[in-house]
Amino acid sequence: MQSNQTFADLFRARGVSRRDFLKFCSLTSVYLGLSPSMVPSIVHAMENKTRTPVLWLHGQECTCCSESFIRSSHPRIEDLLFNMISLDYDDVLSAAAGHQLEAVRRKIMKEYKGKYILAVEGNVSTKDDGVYCMVGGDSFLNIIKETAADCAAIIAWGACASFGCVQNAEPNPSGAKPIDEVIKDKPIVKVPGCPPISEVMTGVITHFHTFGTLPDLDRFGRPKAFYNTRIHDKCYRRAFFDAGMFVRSFDDEATRKGWCLYKMGCKGPTTYNSCSKIQWNEGTSFPIGSGHPCIGCSEPNFWDRGPFYKRLAEVPFLGSDSNADRIGMIALGAAAAGAAAHAAVTAVKKTQEDKHEKDKA
Amino acid sequence: MGRLIEEIYVWRLPVRLYHWINAICTVLLLLTGVYIAAPFLNPPVGEAVWYKQMSWWRYVHFAVAFIFIANFLFRMYWALFGNDKYGRFGGFRPWSPAWWGQPFREQVESYLFLRSDEPNYVGHNPVAALAHFVFIFCGSSFMILSGLAMYGENNPGGFSSVLTGWMVPLFGGSYTLHFAHHLMAWIFPLYLVVHLYAVFRHDIVDRTSVTSSIVTGYKHKVEEEPV
Repeated sequence: MQSNQTFADLFRARGVSRRDFLKFCSLTSVYLGLSPSMVPSIVHAMENKTRTPVLWLHGQECTCCSESFIRSSHPRIEDLLFNMISLDYDDVLSAAAGHQLEAVRRKIMKEYKGKYILAVEGNVSTKDDGVYCMVGGDSFLNIIKETAADCAAIIAWGACASFGCVQNAEPNPSGAKPIDEVIKDKPIVKVPGCPPISEVMTGVITHFHTFGTLPDLDRFGRPKAFYNTRIHDKCYRRAFFDAGMFVRSFDDEATRKGWCLYKMGCKGPTTYNSCSKIQWNEGTSFPIGSGHPCIGCSEPNFWDRGPFYKRLAEVPFLGSDSNADRIGMIALGAAAAGAAAHAAVTAVKKTQEDKHEKDKA
Repeated sequence: MGRLIEEIYVWRLPVRLYHWINAICTVLLLLTGVYIAAPFLNPPVGEAVWYKQMSWWRYVHFAVAFIFIANFLFRMYWALFGNDKYGRFGGFRPWSPAWWGQPFREQVESYLFLRSDEPNYVGHNPVAALAHFVFIFCGSSFMILSGLAMYGENNPGGFSSVLTGWMVPLFGGSYTLHFAHHLMAWIFPLYLVVHLYAVFRHDIVDRTSVTSSIVTGYKHKVEEEPV
């Protein structure tokens, strides 16, 4: 692929009309949550900026982020978007393989020093010098340190790269660490989810390409445009939550009626993501829409946050069957028993003292 | 036991008002909070818009919480600026080793039946002061901060989200913060049991009418204070 080609050049070369190109720019601005007045700056950027080279590394992961990414359907010209960002290295999607592919990675690192985006899918095994995740004959730990050294910014795809996901859940046998614990001197955007929504992934890249900066991030380093609100607050079943109409088991009448899944362990009230807004697969549905409680996959360490199908109040605690309420009740009972025992001793002592004083008198 | 020496006005009206508003708020917050965590009522069949069950419990929880916070802040103001000898935590100095010395030890020994005489204080004894600091001051502070952080979650960038939202990453996420808030709520009933027992026991053993003092404000001194 030629370098120094702008997005608009590429669109034109692919036979996309000016009209469709402008439609794409408008759609993108909508996805980024920008006002209509920003559309011209997106058009300007697309016409003037050359493609941003992206090196996409894969560590310990399941490729679900890639699977999600390639299904980005709004913009519908997903294959063009795919070409646009100049994805120069991706062990899963590249046609080349072996030494040829590794040579491309090194070439981009040299030619676009300080300008390329490093996209990381999966996390880094750090135990025993990272021997549990080897790519192309070297440990992923070494590869990511080498590749990150000259990048402009890092995009951490998915729960693995952002927070660690299942690999660093207890007991974390491979010493898996999220990207921000391995690379500390580069700006990192976390795009968590298992996987993240495809439009969120393309939206983050487009934002970087358009403005040359990272999007506004929340306290966990996630783009505010997509992770600023809870699933619960935009959920179409929220009315049932407010009314107190809950599903109580997966085969009851309330399930068929599509009531709130709060009591089935839905993590919507504690999960920040766009599932209830953008939804998945061309807006077809999302877990709650299909009758399944949210498992909170875009939140830190969601695998270690109790069972998926239990409400917080019933979550086992301290490695026992007890939950917070039961432990509270036990402590309460112990306090009451202690008070009663103390009262009894006080009474006995007082009786003795009174008797003693009486004897004296 | 001694005879009635004098009547002392210990708890001034602001302190008594704080106490009862705090007591009522805590009970309401606990009941509504436990319900929100595990709702069990079933609305009759109908349209969701007809019922406001869950939102009603949440509304009461939030409304009472704001009264609780205002009351707590008022008590802090009164402790710092109020002209109130017994209401200003004056003798409470846990940072000084002297505070943990003789009087504190004597009070602990008395509770453990290691001494036969009961030290008698007009205000709070050192052990009670420590209990109030841990349960009421620290406990309430945590519940207020974590509560406001979770309250701010539905309006990111809003007042309470900016003010207290740092609690969320501090506790590793919204889920763990909810859990910590729920677990810590139990210190209040726990405190209530110990508090009520201690009050009744002191009233019976010391005969200082401490129980009624939180209504009338007056305690009755029956013997000299230990030095």
